[in-house]
Amino acid sequence: MSDLAIARRRMMTGPATIAVLAVLAVFVILFLAGVGFGSTWIPLDTVTSVLLGGGERTDRLVVLQLRLPRVLAAAIAGGAIAYAGYLLQRITRNELASPGVLGVVDGAALGVVLFLAIFSNESNALTVPVAWQPLAAALGAMTAIALVFLLAGRQASSAIRLILFGIAIAAVAKALTTIFMLIGPIYQAAQAARWLAGAVNTINWSEVQIMLTVLVPVGIVAGIAARHLPPADLDDVSSRSIGLNLPVYRIIMFLLAALLTAGAVAFAGGVGFVGLIAPHMARLLVGRGRVAGVVMSILLGAIILMGADLLIRVAFAPLEVPAGTVTAIIGAPYFLYLLMRKDSTNG
Amino acid sequence: MVESMSGGVRAASSRWPIYVALALGLGVAMLASLTLGYKLYGLDEVWMALFAHDGSETATVIAGLRLPRALIAPLAGAALGMAGVMVQTLSRNRIASPDTLGLNAGASMAVVLATVVFGVGSLAGLSLAAALGALLTSIIVFGVAAGAGGLSPLKIVLVGVTFAGLAHAVVEIVLTSNEAQLQQLLFWLSGAFVDRPISLFFNGLPVVLVGATLAFALTAALDALQADDATAASLGVPLLAVRGLTFVAVSLLTGAAVSMAGPVAFVGLVVPHAARGLVGLRHRHQLAAAALVGAIYTTLADVAARFVIYPVEAPVGAITAVVGAATLVLLLMRRLA
Amino acid sequence: MDDQVASRIEVKALSLSYGSEVVLDALSLPIPSGQITVLAGPNGCGKSTLLRAIRRLHAPQSGQVLLDAEDIAKLNGKALGRRIGLLAQSPSAPQDMTVEELVRLGRYPHQAMMQPWGAGDNAAVAAAMAGTGVADMRQRRIGSLSGGQLQRAWIAMVLAQETDVICLDEPVNHLDMAHQLDCLELVTRLNKEQGRTIVLVLHDLNLAARYADQLVFVANGKVRERGAPEAMMRSDLIEEVFNVTAEIIIDPVHKRPICIPHRRG
Repeated sequence: MSDLAIARRRMMTGPATIAVLAVLAVFVILFLAGVGFGSTWIPLDTVTSVLLGGGERTDRLVVLQLRLPRVLAAAIAGGAIAYAGYLLQRITRNELASPGVLGVVDGAALGVVLFLAIFSNESNALTVPVAWQPLAAALGAMTAIALVFLLAGRQASSAIRLILFGIAIAAVAKALTTIFMLIGPIYQAAQAARWLAGAVNTINWSEVQIMLTVLVPVGIVAGIAARHLPPADLDDVSSRSIGLNLPVYRIIMFLLAALLTAGAVAFAGGVGFVGLIAPHMARLLVGRGRVAGVVMSILLGAIILMGADLLIRVAFAPLEVPAGTVTAIIGAPYFLYLLMRKDSTNG
Repeated sequence: MVESMSGGVRAASSRWPIYVALALGLGVAMLASLTLGYKLYGLDEVWMALFAHDGSETATVIAGLRLPRALIAPLAGAALGMAGVMVQTLSRNRIASPDTLGLNAGASMAVVLATVVFGVGSLAGLSLAAALGALLTSIIVFGVAAGAGGLSPLKIVLVGVTFAGLAHAVVEIVLTSNEAQLQQLLFWLSGAFVDRPISLFFNGLPVVLVGATLAFALTAALDALQADDATAASLGVPLLAVRGLTFVAVSLLTGAAVSMAGPVAFVGLVVPHAARGLVGLRHRHQLAAAALVGAIYTTLADVAARFVIYPVEAPVGAITAVVGAATLVLLLMRRLA
Repeated sequence: MDDQVASRIEVKALSLSYGSEVVLDALSLPIPSGQITVLAGPNGCGKSTLLRAIRRLHAPQSGQVLLDAEDIAKLNGKALGRRIGLLAQSPSAPQDMTVEELVRLGRYPHQAMMQPWGAGDNAAVAAAMAGTGVADMRQRRIGSLSGGQLQRAWIAMVLAQETDVICLDEPVNHLDMAHQLDCLELVTRLNKEQGRTIVLVLHDLNLAARYADQLVFVANGKVRERGAPEAMMRSDLIEEVFNVTAEIIIDPVHKRPICIPHRRG
């Protein structure tokens, strides 16, 4: 391949750039609409002016304190999980991999339930600020990841083995979660169940800031690491022969994907399905280029979760159906359809 | 019969002592299920309650509460054990099980939907729903996994886990919109033998028997299926028909178990390994041993469930999940699977 | 030359395609009874597919395979399995299966609902294991066997089927010289001592020439030529089919032709 062709392959190709810009436009519109929608509809231009620093005080209050955190959280969580999903699918060379299979989500759930169980008093009220919940979730997620990698040991570079360890840890976490939900009061159970299914409605501004502080650095590190991703069609042995230390690299990528997932899930609950669908759709739209793939996956993930959240607010109010559930219901048939197509990567 | 690891030799001796030992073990387990629990009963009280009921509270508890679980637990365990053997053979993968293939989740989703959405109340209806759910799930999971790119262990596991996630999501939607039933459904969703009417046992028994009969009729073909497709086909095995019938058998057995006790985790994963270790790979023996081992396992787990967080009952599925996960981890670490 | 010997199997104008790719192109070939027929040809010529089609692992688009003048498409799977056995190219079975359990699989075509395992089955398994020299390994797990031992175990499985026709798809590719010899000598014994019809796909042309009664060159999905090895091993023919220039000499031990390729094209 000529130098120019190689360079062009690294950057985004023309059609891919157009697709990204188009999706970016959808993202912006959805974002503004998501902020605008609520008990009172705030027109998009007002939203824009508030975001840019102007607008009236009441509008500013509603937008910045009430609406923005939720939409922003959905966007960030969706983007992070989609990113994790992209990395996982590329490194396992299998488009069926999703962040949910590593046991991270169930570990986070256990963390939440334990937090609720430990820090509730007799009258079912929390004795510490609920702001600590995401930390509990994150701790649970990280413990799960650590356990999975510890147990897998040298087998961690094999996708199926890692996933199987993840299944085992997830099962234990699920079992313990259920036990704690049962021996605790119903308040916790309902609360935990809702969290488990993925909900961004209780997020506030400070939590969003924490999300950004955690996820952006990880995302950047992952981006740097992703530059070494072997081309999608290259097998293991060939990859190794071009100088890539595959087992170590794989473990690092798994870890980064798990961190991204933990960060997203700690705040938004069980939204793992987004990490399965978004990278797929990204590949459909922009092909196999890495830069385009990452950017598109993140955008699509954000769009999916924001869209699901908006859909719930529009269609299901006042019932708080968890966003993760909606993405799962909508995403699953799409996922199945994707799989039945003939041109998948090697399994 | 001892299996020596060195030189990979398996001593060939009659298997009858094993079956006798297992049957005895089952008897002991069932007795334990009748006598041990929140209150401890003696063997004489059990005898009286079963054969000379005198209307006393003791007799009522034993006959009305303990007996159903002492019957349902082994039946569900046997069904899941046999289903596990067939799933592992079919997917040529020792890590596969009705759980990891999403069958349990699919069956529970069907039951939850049937109960809450369609208002199905009859036991027969729920059993049917569970079996249908398992059958549909197995078709979808195998169909999707076998699609583009061909069947591979990784693919089956991924599709199964994802499908299970989907089924759980559906169940969660139902749960969050039915908070009153949340507690009850939650318990059932982890698998439980407690508080089950004995009619469930009599309802599940014929289904299990049909499934088991079908399974035993397929043993020769299942043996051949352990080899690769080309070899099995050259032996004359009608691959599609055998796989289809095996799906049906697995669905009947899983469906029966789930309708009786909810999705009891990992039984179908762990039990086949133990069965193979005891009696070898011939399916006539694998199935029989798995039925007995499965029955013993779930019965003992049910007894343990009474004491783990005494005095509260733990869902037996939580126990089998922990044991099963530990076993899975061990199998993986020792590269036995 | 072999038209005097009755054909056990007759392949008639067999055409087979994978999608749009034509693999077998109206191929015709008689397989003489009681002889060793070896299919040889360059990569992708269709020889493995032909072997599998003979055992009906693939359904052809057109044409027939006749077994004793019967169309195999009309026979049921088990019946066919009692008459034609196939050792696939890379067979696999669980590593913890014992040799005996593996050989027993070969009895599948003989088992029926009303005819469970009997003395005849035991005898067949014992004879198969004895014939391949694996009887003393019967309780060993196949995962613990060497390549040569494993191949013998698989051949024992095919033998247990008690078929008159045995097909083997590249049975010695991955074996070292000693085991290659073992395996092919075994196959020859089955042919000479028990009169079984053997169809082999072999990659190594010299081995093919050494063991074949009928040597068949397959190219582009058709039979380019067939005949006795002496007639087939000619420089011009080999150059055309295999795309190499080769010198032909006579192997002093087996008195069969061998070729020495020394230039491409």
